[in-house]
Amino acid sequence: MDIRLLRSSDIPNVQLANLTNLPENYFLKYYLYHALSWPQLSYVAVDVSSLEYNASSNPYTSKPPKIVGYVLAKIDEDNNQTGHITSLSVMRTHRRLGLAEKLMRQSTRAMREYYNARDVSLHVRCSNQAAIGLYTERLGFAREKVESKYYADGEDAFSMKLDLVSAFKDEEKAAEGEGEKTDGVDEGGEVGEAGKKEEKKTVKVGRQLGVQSLVENVVQKPSQQVAGA
Amino acid sequence: MGASLPPKEANLFKLIVKSYETKQYKKGLKAADAILKKFPDHGETLAMKGLTLNCMDRKSEAYELVRQGLKNDLKSHVCWHVYGLLYRSDREYREAIKCYRNALRIDPDNIEILRDLSLLQAQMRDLTGFVETRQQLLSLKPNHRMNWIGFAVAHHLNSNASKAVEILEAYEGTLEDDYPPDNERCEHGEMLLYKISLLEECGFLERAVEELHKKESKIVDKLAYKEQEVSLLLKLGRLAEGGKLYRELLPMNPDNYRYYEGLQKCVGLYSENAQFPPDEIDRLDALYKSLGQEYKWSSAVKRIPLDFLQGNRFMEAAENYIRPLLTKGVPSLFSDLSPLYDHPGKVGRYSGATYAQLGAFNKDNRPIPWKHYDRRGQYDIALSKIDEAIEHTPTVIDLYSIKSRILKHAGDLAAAAALADEARCMDLADRYINSDCVKRMLQADQVALAEKTAVLFTKDGDQHNNLHDMQCMWYELASGESYFRQGDLGRALKKFLAVEKHYADITEDQFDFHSYCLRKMTLRAYVEMLRFQDRLHSHAYFHKAAAGAIRCYVKLHDSPPKSTAEEDDDMSKLPPSQKKKMRQKLRKAEARAKKEAEEKHEESSAAGASKSGKRHVKPVDPDPHGDKLLQVEDPLLEATKYLKLLQKNSPNSLETQLLSFELNMRKQKILLAFQALKQLLRLDAEHPDSHRCLIKFFHKARSMAAPVTDTEKLIWSVLEAERPTISQLHEKSLIEGNKIFLEKHKDSLMHRAAVAEMLFVLEPDRKLEAIKLIEESTNNVMPKKGALGPVGEWKLKDCIAVHKLLGALLNDNEAQLRWKVRCAEYFPYSTYFEGSRSSAMPNSAYNKTNRNSENGSANHSGGETADSLASNGKLEAFVDLTI
Repeated sequence: MDIRLLRSSDIPNVQLANLTNLPENYFLKYYLYHALSWPQLSYVAVDVSSLEYNASSNPYTSKPPKIVGYVLAKIDEDNNQTGHITSLSVMRTHRRLGLAEKLMRQSTRAMREYYNARDVSLHVRCSNQAAIGLYTERLGFAREKVESKYYADGEDAFSMKLDLVSAFKDEEKAAEGEGEKTDGVDEGGEVGEAGKKEEKKTVKVGRQLGVQSLVENVVQKPSQQVAGA
Repeated sequence: MGASLPPKEANLFKLIVKSYETKQYKKGLKAADAILKKFPDHGETLAMKGLTLNCMDRKSEAYELVRQGLKNDLKSHVCWHVYGLLYRSDREYREAIKCYRNALRIDPDNIEILRDLSLLQAQMRDLTGFVETRQQLLSLKPNHRMNWIGFAVAHHLNSNASKAVEILEAYEGTLEDDYPPDNERCEHGEMLLYKISLLEECGFLERAVEELHKKESKIVDKLAYKEQEVSLLLKLGRLAEGGKLYRELLPMNPDNYRYYEGLQKCVGLYSENAQFPPDEIDRLDALYKSLGQEYKWSSAVKRIPLDFLQGNRFMEAAENYIRPLLTKGVPSLFSDLSPLYDHPGKVGRYSGATYAQLGAFNKDNRPIPWKHYDRRGQYDIALSKIDEAIEHTPTVIDLYSIKSRILKHAGDLAAAAALADEARCMDLADRYINSDCVKRMLQADQVALAEKTAVLFTKDGDQHNNLHDMQCMWYELASGESYFRQGDLGRALKKFLAVEKHYADITEDQFDFHSYCLRKMTLRAYVEMLRFQDRLHSHAYFHKAAAGAIRCYVKLHDSPPKSTAEEDDDMSKLPPSQKKKMRQKLRKAEARAKKEAEEKHEESSAAGASKSGKRHVKPVDPDPHGDKLLQVEDPLLEATKYLKLLQKNSPNSLETQLLSFELNMRKQKILLAFQALKQLLRLDAEHPDSHRCLIKFFHKARSMAAPVTDTEKLIWSVLEAERPTISQLHEKSLIEGNKIFLEKHKDSLMHRAAVAEMLFVLEPDRKLEAIKLIEESTNNVMPKKGALGPVGEWKLKDCIAVHKLLGALLNDNEAQLRWKVRCAEYFPYSTYFEGSRSSAMPNSAYNKTNRNSENGSANHSGGETADSLASNGKLEAFVDLTI
């Protein structure tokens, strides 16, 4: 599976993956908002098995990229030192490959490198053991608190945070240490298990109001102005 | 503005404007009314009141007021601007542009209006206009960064990247050396990267590299910096440097395929089709082995070599890659390996050797080789493998999903849906399994059940179903297709048009970003987004939706809804006096229903409005079943709207041209139909449907009356001149052409069926011969591979299409029955053919087990299901629609 930055043209397929896998969904505009505000932060996993090698030879039959996983991420609008994972998901058919972890590592690295963010936050369903395992054990997130009835169906969420400053330090050392980067950490069977079923979400706000409240307030003002005002 | 008012009212007017901008509409309305009390004819106030009401969902009043205001004060740029904003809010961009232009005639240097105009021009891709407006804005306010950037982007979009570079460099010239301040570093870096990408686009590669290096310290996005640099180096042929850079990029993301591809290019080991001479394979093998040592976590580094390795080295690499995934039971393994499948000596060989050792399942009972048999059409073996596994570990959900998929391929859609439902019930919290199940239910035409199942995940407060609001297009498409198969054109159209509407919304979505991105400076992402939007309607889902809608309209044209005709028919049996009464009764009932619906609508919107000033309750859908959609005056005209979009956005799709052919033949647009035919021949002259269209067209042309009008004469002469250019015909007769096509493709069922159908069209008295042509087709056994059993070449969906052809067109029930019996042999699981193992048969294995499901037990009627296999099939959908 190819792990690369999300492009605008991926968005319909990212939205499809989200709608197929998760109960927390967004308008397409909300994905655009991410891609156009923080183009460095969102990544996709693409199943290239039927694509790349065949695509170049026959452009007419080339299909759109098959998105099998994605991470949609942003920087907190009120606090530019904090990143936030809006949504993360891997198709059930592509679990156990460690894709969620790979996607998360790319996104958090960019938060740290480009935006100089100090930490990154996310929400996860309290019942989602697999995802909690990935976040806490493999990625080093810490539980901050429980947010009661965070999800539309009434389930509670754990709010989690990862300290990017210290996470960055470790990785930098590993990278400098002869490029031996994270071998021991990333190898092994549990990678897949942990990535089994993950998600995370903004709820009531993120769905209906998502774009309105987040984009339009920010974006629309100019078009609202009247001549000479 | 508001100048003609005394000070108190002038202040009130400012308050209206401010309230509008801050969305405090009630406050604005109050201020407007206060002014209007004293100056009831004040144009600008009337207009602003209208604009405010528009935001409060009082559209018709809004238009009335704005128009009244404008009439009272035609010389006010405010009134014109407001009128434009009103149109803009209704997406009437062309009208809005006209209004802005009128406003600018009065006040040519008005920044706000110019800016609004420029946004519309970007949205409409009026690029020349966009450049002009942006230039004007820049000359009015050259001290605004955004105006420089906007002018540059405008030139770039208008295909003048080098001009854009000049503008950006001029802008840079206005900056101090120590620019940017800390809080603008990201934005400035983005601007530099944008400029460098423009240099690359212009082909100024050396200059781009130079600029990149010069500005390195000011570019914050180090990853983008490296990717940009390596792309330039590769184009410049500076491969050694490029290779070095790729080796810096790989540790950052060792699963990025483009890095590997790039590195291969840099070391001179790249080939588009992954075919290499032996010595290069050796070098590639060594390269990937060493990379594999470095990036142990990467799966790409292990997977890519499987594409080029052969023989024992392939076996060894495959073993290393596949074995751990096999043990873990990675579900995607087989789709991952599928491109290697038909490669002689690759997976075929691997599977022969390894599957034998492994057995059907490894010790954890992971479903591994079923797909192998499923792919080959050996459904009984695939199913028995899965059943074995289910028996062993009945708790693995995926086994049921897989079995469901195999059954679907085998032709038992009802059983497939029931199994998917069983899987779903094993983990009600997993939406993926729910989606899978909903998909199967829709394939089996259980639409009501599917909806009930899908909404388990989409309830949002009082809202029962927000699948539509959330733009869940796959679902809408699949239900639309199911309704179409079931002949419910109203509901089908409703779903297809809903998808079309989503695409219109997505186009609209970009509007806000025209200004947002200029401020945020995410310019590369912005331009990429515009390019994506430009191609949006070539997206597969749009294509399917538009094609579906066109089919609905064509069917509607061919067999208009019986309502009126039938009603009259019913009534004609009544004596005239009663007829009149009956009509009155009907009319009254209709009016009553309408009134009730309206009242309900008002109630609900009032209830919503009272709470928070904004409506939260969705308006009641006035046409839930799409009945009104069926009442179009000219279905073919409607269809043409969507055809135009297909022709513009996917002209190279066979389906587009087939639809164009069918539509234009019905509209008697002979030359347009001929154009579609020529496109079909260009795309795939050997396709059975292209052949059908060719024969049908000239058959029809032959039967046209001799030309009378000038137009007819013109058409006639064009066809006269064109026919000899069609190589399939030349001087041959249609009957000969048909025969030659048969000889060319005599081993293919679908080609024979097309020839048979055309034979019947050309010479209806040779019907028996046509049927014989079909029945004498043989289902050849596919060449054997490995130790696997024999498999016939025919596909289920083709056989179903032939079955329908025998019935609908050739109208021979006996032949149809013979065909059915024969195909039931080939496809024992097919419900359509009532195969012996399908759930359509009372004694099938499937029906012996009873099952309960959570969400109401599935309705397993096998009946209509098989039609779905023809879902988006080409001409099949037209089989019963003769021209």
